[in-house]
Amino acid sequence: MTERIQLDPLEPWVELKSTKEDWQAADPQLLENMLCQLHLIRAFEEEILELAAEGLVHGPAHASVGQEGGAVGSILGLRTTDGVNGSHRGHHQFLAKAIQHVSPNLKADALVNEDIQKLIQKTTAEIMGLEQGFSHGRGGSMHLQWLEAGALGTNAIVGGGVPLAAGNAWAQKNSGTDDLTVTYFGDGAVNIGSVLESMNLTAAWDVPLVFFIENNLYAVSTSVEEATKEARLSGRGVGFGIPSWRVDGMDPLAVWHVMREVEAHSRAGKGPAVVEVEVYRFFHQNGAFPGSAFGYRSKEEEAEWLARDPLKRVADEMIERGLIDQSVVDKIREQAVAAMKTATAEILEEDPEGKPGSRRIKPGLWPETSFVDVGLRGDMSELEGTRSLEIENAGNLKDIRFVDAIASVMDQNMENDKRIVVLGEDVHKLKGGTNGATKGLERHEGRILGTPISENAFAGLGGGMALDGRFRPVVEFMYPDFLWVAADQVFNQIGKARHMFGGENGVPLVLRTKVAMGSGYGSQHLMDPAGIFATAPGWRIVAPSNPFDYVGLMNAALKLEDPVLVIEHVDLYTQKGQIPEGDLDYFINPGNAKVVREGKDVTVISYLNMIKHSMEAIEQTGMDAELIDLRWLDRASIDWDTIGESIKKTNAVMIAEQGVQGTSYGGWLADEIQRRFFDYLDQPIQRVHGREASPSISKVLERAAIAKTEEVVEGLKRVQQGFGGK
Amino acid sequence: MPKVNMPEVAAGATYAVINRWTVEEGADINIGDVICELETDKAVVEYAAEVAGKLTKIIGQPGEEIDVGDPICIIGEDVAEEASAPAAEPEAPIAEAPVAAPVASPVVETPAAPTPAAPVAEAPTRVEGERIFASPIARKMASDNGIDVATIVGTGPDGRIVRRDVEAAIAAGPVAPAASPAPAAAPAAQPAQTSSSTELAPQDYSSSYTAVKHSGMRKAIARRLTESKSTIPHFYLYADCRVDELIELRKKLNEISPVKISVNDMVIRAIAAAFQDVPEANVVWTDDAMLKYESVDISVAVATETGLLTPVLRGVEKRSLSNIASAVRDLAERSREGKLRQDELEGGSFAITNLGMYGTEQFAAIINPPQSGILAVGAASEKVIVEQGQMTVANMMSVTLSADHRAVDGALAAEWLKAFKHRIENPLTMLV
Repeated sequence: MTERIQLDPLEPWVELKSTKEDWQAADPQLLENMLCQLHLIRAFEEEILELAAEGLVHGPAHASVGQEGGAVGSILGLRTTDGVNGSHRGHHQFLAKAIQHVSPNLKADALVNEDIQKLIQKTTAEIMGLEQGFSHGRGGSMHLQWLEAGALGTNAIVGGGVPLAAGNAWAQKNSGTDDLTVTYFGDGAVNIGSVLESMNLTAAWDVPLVFFIENNLYAVSTSVEEATKEARLSGRGVGFGIPSWRVDGMDPLAVWHVMREVEAHSRAGKGPAVVEVEVYRFFHQNGAFPGSAFGYRSKEEEAEWLARDPLKRVADEMIERGLIDQSVVDKIREQAVAAMKTATAEILEEDPEGKPGSRRIKPGLWPETSFVDVGLRGDMSELEGTRSLEIENAGNLKDIRFVDAIASVMDQNMENDKRIVVLGEDVHKLKGGTNGATKGLERHEGRILGTPISENAFAGLGGGMALDGRFRPVVEFMYPDFLWVAADQVFNQIGKARHMFGGENGVPLVLRTKVAMGSGYGSQHLMDPAGIFATAPGWRIVAPSNPFDYVGLMNAALKLEDPVLVIEHVDLYTQKGQIPEGDLDYFINPGNAKVVREGKDVTVISYLNMIKHSMEAIEQTGMDAELIDLRWLDRASIDWDTIGESIKKTNAVMIAEQGVQGTSYGGWLADEIQRRFFDYLDQPIQRVHGREASPSISKVLERAAIAKTEEVVEGLKRVQQGFGGK
Repeated sequence: MPKVNMPEVAAGATYAVINRWTVEEGADINIGDVICELETDKAVVEYAAEVAGKLTKIIGQPGEEIDVGDPICIIGEDVAEEASAPAAEPEAPIAEAPVAAPVASPVVETPAAPTPAAPVAEAPTRVEGERIFASPIARKMASDNGIDVATIVGTGPDGRIVRRDVEAAIAAGPVAPAASPAPAAAPAAQPAQTSSSTELAPQDYSSSYTAVKHSGMRKAIARRLTESKSTIPHFYLYADCRVDELIELRKKLNEISPVKISVNDMVIRAIAAAFQDVPEANVVWTDDAMLKYESVDISVAVATETGLLTPVLRGVEKRSLSNIASAVRDLAERSREGKLRQDELEGGSFAITNLGMYGTEQFAAIINPPQSGILAVGAASEKVIVEQGQMTVANMMSVTLSADHRAVDGALAAEWLKAFKHRIENPLTMLV
């Protein structure tokens, strides 16, 4: 007979309800504030829906009508320095946080002050895609950000904002504050990896992040019961050791009370919390029709929820207590609606070409189209005054293994800049991680973080730190192919964040990874990530071929306000090179390729370990090739001057890289070269790269799938054929 | 598939003659290899293979007139297929046959040429309007140096014209494709290689020279002239002609003539008149027969910016001086504009070359095969002569007749030169 032992979760899972006594005891100013915020948000959302119906909102308008109670109840108690972010349906959270920031004590008889009016207009303008919006109209309805107010930016990828919020919360805690971050998402997001990975990671590290689930029962038309077995979604938290609350979101006071308990937990350094509020969106996913119009829910159900409207609930309770009468409620409503009308009147005008009464956006309010790419990345002013150095001028040199140069320059930077934090799998153990690149860094206590195996969460957490700005994360992917696991955070979030939110806020993040072709790790570990990252304009890329360059490039990467991918290679780790004696502080800034061999026959462009292979190939063929080590690979940082000068001399180009064809780097470069230097080319741009299939485990197949010296030799022969002559 | 057809050597040409095969049956041919020389009356073109493979059969024999589009040889292994498909409908010559653009191969010395004809590029084999594959830098370099890429043979992959081809063309000097409408500026020849390099010490300069690689055309000229001089038994007759009357007559004629008549026009007229006087001299030697011409067709050398052309002025004996003057002018203009027809470049039994404007007093020219004679005309200048025992000053002009002894014996040539001298010294006889 087996023995059965009851196991209990580490943390409690409770449902909290307000009582009459709670309403009686509530601070009248709190309730007035609550009612005023609810009305401002409701009037705002209704006006947006009206604009959408008029065709004046480009793209979706995900209204929160009916769901305001959760956001208002939770945010009313927060500080400006607390952070919130949200999802595609985030107007209410954004507005609640912003209103709380500009006007923490709203008055029923003077609801709309200048700050509120300005906020409403700026938010409306952003949603309509106008220059005066928070992000100059780039973000719109789904990307609302006002960092000053602690509104970190809403997110159109379901669950995508959660790891970023975790990074913000980590930064809050590790800056010595007891601030916290609330990340809002819906029932649809609760089953996605980003959310669950982040729950695990924040619980493991006691990060003060509140997972705030707005369970509105439907992910578009799919009901929660269809999507999951445990429809009480707060149940997710308990499995990760996170205390979890369930509460009626139509009751803002109950939510407010839950948040007081959450604060007591999270601000005390005990880690994350999960709050599930049951709410109801009165309309469909977007637009102004009820869900019943689309047949996935009944009119009876809608009527039942409408009766529990949080605006009505708070007003009724206040009237019952004799704090106000209906005329005050009407007055609040009137002021809120008028404020919206005032805001839209500033933005809209009679459409001279439309039907009578139709409106249009004042033409002068759109952003200039020339703004389209502005702020994709920083202006590099942070690199001004840095000291550049090339090995030829470096004075006394000493031998060093490549991997030791990595650890050395990281150690020096962590010593000099306490903001730098290293995170990745096993980086804190094994004497420097799996390769020794983080050796000795464990002495920087609390800043070298061994992560669980959840690249999406820890890459995103790094992204959140970078967006916060108080820390400069150095994230390590053990293998480049893991970028696919973390692709949302790497590309959709980190890569796009600066531009999407208006181009002004930096994302100083370094991502290190190593190319491992030749190591036998097979199809899912052996990519070269350069080609993929080169497609993401927010990212800068460096690929050092020797220890000296690594030091200078890493210094620049750490200084930059942009995300930088640092590509390493297993073959290089054990190779020796030289760095200056007692100098780890020099820079090799963007736009500085290096001609490592001068020649006149052909320009060979390469990077990383392929520099060595290219050099060997050139020597074997005896061709007078010019070899350029790119060092900076991305579109913005590449050194067109050096490349162009060489091509004008040689009239022939070969791009040599190791990895497979599909994700290879050289394609975009060849394209750009033929655009820029067409008249100087004497033959097609030749390329050397691996085969089509990802390298296999089998040693011979792996070798056959990648490019090394022999393949570069072949490439040079093709170039030679292209010379013509007799 | 492997059949190679007679290309359209020049726009409008209907046939050409294979001068000789430069390769033998069984040879392995690469694209761009010269396989034969094609000849029109005025040009010899090196024909380069457009396909690679074994030259399995030579169809066109040297000396044969072959219509454009008819097969001349077979390159490739597929002989059986060819044999089994005799009398196949000739494929469209332009689509199938890589066609040679003719390059002038002047064999007469340049008269009135402001710059010596210095043809450069190897003869490319392509038809007018054919897509020319050239690398971007090759096009740019060619353009910068005033070279028409159409005149360059590509040696890159699939015959692409690449940088090195243009460099070779630049090194070889300006291009002179016959009947090419593209005027080419004459760039300074780039030395392909020089014995003096910047690294050399000054004392090494004394022995410096510049080696300019032969162009195909230069080679063709060399070969043609060598062939002419070594196969045609030249002999030379000299005469000093007094041209006072001619000069006087010209002055008077120009007062009434609608076109300006040059001394050269009058010399042409005198040549025609001499052939009328001595028609037995108006002949051309061939291996089998003597061709006796009825009309007098004279090649007139015209210098153009792109090189030397020798259009033929036909029926000179029937033309008046003003007609000759305007016809020569017309031929010259159309030569410069590249508007000559191929038939205007073909035929003729005799040629005139004139270096008088350079002050050359007397010279001898090499016959332009298959013609049987050429008259080299020197400068007219005042000389002291003895006339009836008295020294007097007269305008004298030296001429040298080069004659093909196979066709014209010494006495006949002398008779003709006497007739010419009589005509030139009594120019009024040319007017009646």
